[in-house]
Amino acid sequence: MLRVHAGIALLALAGGAWTSPAGAAELTPPIASYQISCRLDPDRKTVEGTELLTWTNRTRVTADSLQFHLYLNAFRNTLSSFWRSTGGARDPLPESWGSIEITRMSLADGTDLLPGLRYIAPDDGNPHDRTVAEVPLPRPVAPGETLHVAIDFRSRLPRVSNRSGYKGDFFFVAQWFPKVGVLEDSGWNCHQYDARTEFFSDFGNYDVTIDVPANFRGKVGATGVRVEERDAPGGRVLYRFRQESVHDFAWTADPDYRVHRDVFREPGAPEVELFLFLQPEHAGQEVRHFRAAKAGLSGYGRVLGPYPYRTLTLVDPAWGARGAGGMEYPTLITCGTSWIAPGSVQSPESVTIHEFGHQYFYGLLASNEFEEPWLDEGFNNYMQARVLASAYGPNTPALSVFGYRVSLGIPIHHPLDSNRRYFTGPTADVMAVPSFRYRDRASFALNAYNKTALTMATLERLMGTRQMDRSLRLYADRWRFRHPKTGDWIQAVQDATKQDWRWFFDRTFFSSGIVDYAVAEAKSAKARAPRGLFESGGKLTERPPPDLAPASGYDSVVTVTRQGDVPLPVEVVLRFEGGRTHRSAWDGEARWKRFRVDRGPRLIEALVDPDEKILLDVDRTNNGRRVEADPRAAARWTARSLFWMQNILDFLTVAW
Amino acid sequence: MSRRASAPACFLRGLGLSLARPYLALSLWLIQLLVASVVILPMSNTLHEQLDHSPAADRMVATPDFGWWETFRRTHPDVLGSFPELAAGLLSAEGAKRSDIQGLRGVGAVTLSLAMLAAVLHAFALGGILGALREPSASLVIFCREGMRRFPAFLAFTLAAAAGALAAYRWIYVGTGKALTARVQELDSEPQAMALTAARLLLLLLVLAAIKLLSDSVRAIWVARPDLPPVSRFFAGLAAALSRPGRLLGVLLLYASITAGLYLLWLFLDPSAGGEARFALVPLILTQQVFVFLRLLVKVGYYAGVSEALTRMPSPEYSYVPAAPPARGSAAPGTADEPLLDRPAGRI
Repeated sequence: MLRVHAGIALLALAGGAWTSPAGAAELTPPIASYQISCRLDPDRKTVEGTELLTWTNRTRVTADSLQFHLYLNAFRNTLSSFWRSTGGARDPLPESWGSIEITRMSLADGTDLLPGLRYIAPDDGNPHDRTVAEVPLPRPVAPGETLHVAIDFRSRLPRVSNRSGYKGDFFFVAQWFPKVGVLEDSGWNCHQYDARTEFFSDFGNYDVTIDVPANFRGKVGATGVRVEERDAPGGRVLYRFRQESVHDFAWTADPDYRVHRDVFREPGAPEVELFLFLQPEHAGQEVRHFRAAKAGLSGYGRVLGPYPYRTLTLVDPAWGARGAGGMEYPTLITCGTSWIAPGSVQSPESVTIHEFGHQYFYGLLASNEFEEPWLDEGFNNYMQARVLASAYGPNTPALSVFGYRVSLGIPIHHPLDSNRRYFTGPTADVMAVPSFRYRDRASFALNAYNKTALTMATLERLMGTRQMDRSLRLYADRWRFRHPKTGDWIQAVQDATKQDWRWFFDRTFFSSGIVDYAVAEAKSAKARAPRGLFESGGKLTERPPPDLAPASGYDSVVTVTRQGDVPLPVEVVLRFEGGRTHRSAWDGEARWKRFRVDRGPRLIEALVDPDEKILLDVDRTNNGRRVEADPRAAARWTARSLFWMQNILDFLTVAW
Repeated sequence: MSRRASAPACFLRGLGLSLARPYLALSLWLIQLLVASVVILPMSNTLHEQLDHSPAADRMVATPDFGWWETFRRTHPDVLGSFPELAAGLLSAEGAKRSDIQGLRGVGAVTLSLAMLAAVLHAFALGGILGALREPSASLVIFCREGMRRFPAFLAFTLAAAAGALAAYRWIYVGTGKALTARVQELDSEPQAMALTAARLLLLLLVLAAIKLLSDSVRAIWVARPDLPPVSRFFAGLAAALSRPGRLLGVLLLYASITAGLYLLWLFLDPSAGGEARFALVPLILTQQVFVFLRLLVKVGYYAGVSEALTRMPSPEYSYVPAAPPARGSAAPGTADEPLLDRPAGRI
């Protein structure tokens, strides 16, 4: 172990030793721990800080260098890989440039590492990108060895466009300090900042002191537990936050915040203190935010195990800083609401529950968001819909009328239905590819979020909720505070259900094919007496045997087809007159399957996948067919169309 | 003698005239019905093909099935194209995008074309309405005759007003939206941003109202003063609108309010919903068409109200009664579309 530098020792002393506050404790052995002391200059929009990184090599390989994320350099100029990856989709806002500079970097023995620092671009080779830096070490760090690095840095915050930055006096400070990458047995995993991607880091303990002007008093929220507030010279105030066993730290400050507090209590679960930093124009929505957070704590906790931290901080970004909204950091999430927020639309509820869900899928189950985004976003979309449905029931879509959100009043059956937007581009990409390999941002969202959620829901419906919950719990228990991969999830499913589900994942996770089953034909006609030659008494006669002679009942034919590339097992239901039904399973492998019922009751309708288990089916309108046509709905919608067409034409002509 | 009637009085008198000549609203209703019918057959065929054998049809009778419509739209992009996006764009703070018009397909594209056809027919209908309103005893024949007589001029006014309205939308609403994008983000709060959008919308509505009132005024004077040459009639129409802006705006606001009230009543009563037990198909269609007819009665009332607001002397001063042939050698001036048969109408 390298000797601690005297200056660093002083810093550590000033910050206090790594003792946990009452009730808190390290939940996992730390790999990358940080003691940071920083100062916000609201006028210059900068954060200057000193950081003591305590890094332990827990791999089986020796590290001869360190790699650091310098995320804010993504906003340095339009040559960065971040701006390039936006594809020109967004214009930089004025003053949107940000940067991070390391002004000192030394080891505990005083070795100056700064001269060796160089910027690398492991993903795209962009020589202008400065979001990853590599520093060679004077001597390799062996497995199990711990390294202390002192770093001084200066971060210039951008105008909020993506996640972090400022707007006026609102500050959301995320991805703001030099952060060490993840060393794996295969080497450093330290990706550049791409507009489509999120983050990946190791667990550790954070002790952060934030120095802000006094007008921010009481209006500073951050990851972890606030353990200290004290005045500082020059009309300033210091806040100190600590949190063990997390892998990032974000904080926010805004003199306009209205701060609310609540407590989550549920039998069998630890108490969680909730803080809400709400914008003044959203006053009155605190109850909705807290209710949603509690629904998340309860719903996710029941399936994946209790939330292990003492606090949860909810942040409502300022107007004009919505780019900071809908984002997750350990024990701190940013939500997003509107001045007019109809309750039936379930916003801010849905975003609050979603971002809270990331405390599991990202926070505790710290998968690599850069390489396997579906493990956090898609899994979380699935769980979010479950929690939202059980806590709130169906919601309604909203229409933005000149910026005012108006509920359309049409109930959506289930929050999962919002993931149906996957159907707008189901073949663009294989679902399981690294974020930066998706064709574009739209394909990233459709696959990583929507298709994954529908796939998970389909899996739940195929195996049953109980088996699904067992799989999720096993996955969560095994991989809590670690870095699971897709294979680990599949293994957890196999182990929990004692069944082989690889075929399912091969056809969904690792495929761009679509699922579409249809009832192509459903007919039912009065059975006719057989005609022709029949054996009777050893002779051929034209008279049919007595048991076949009377023409009774109906002959029905149903043809079910697989129109998509991907076969999945489905059920087929035939409904007959008199309430009789015939249900049969079909493995769905062939292109079609025909069902015949001779001399049975009259067929009313045929349905494929009647229980809507296969949520990946891209077209449910062809999943059923009635034998007899019922023109009422079409006629009524035609009448409605005519009526509204007359009104539209009148509106378009009356204006001039 | 000058008559200074208030806006409500003008509007009510206009409504009275409209009720006294229901065939005018009937003509408008027939025109709109025929134009709308063009898209109804393909729409009906598509809906029957999709729904008649669908198990979803049962629940679709009474209420819209969001999932079904969403799937239908996605699986049949040729039916509407980007029509929903265009409609949503028109209601958005940013405004409609040109690409949404380019993306129109099928029924969506035909609807836009029909709107153009409807605008042309509207020009004809306005000539008929304003002309027939000034007749002491008018009929459908007079409506058609008057409409045809003024069709070229009214079509020009309609196209000019349409161009003005589109330009106002493009340069006032969309243009200010783009110009203020960054500034809106710099505002302190969302209510301020919404207020700014409301101000942009209000400005647009005021300009649209001004364009409409100017064009309606020109039309009314065009009919009321056949004794003037066309250019004079045009400027007299503009001057008439500018001299009575409050009264005209009042008539327009009353018309807009009553129409909005009718729509609110329709949405509140919601006769389209509730399944077949509540309103069977034939009564539903009848109810819908009665509603459209009522709305058109109010619309004709508005045009009559505008005509009333611009006319000082009691009408009718102008009647399509063949006058005595002018004395040989007298050079009474005639205009291109107003033969010498027309006598001067009331003064303005």
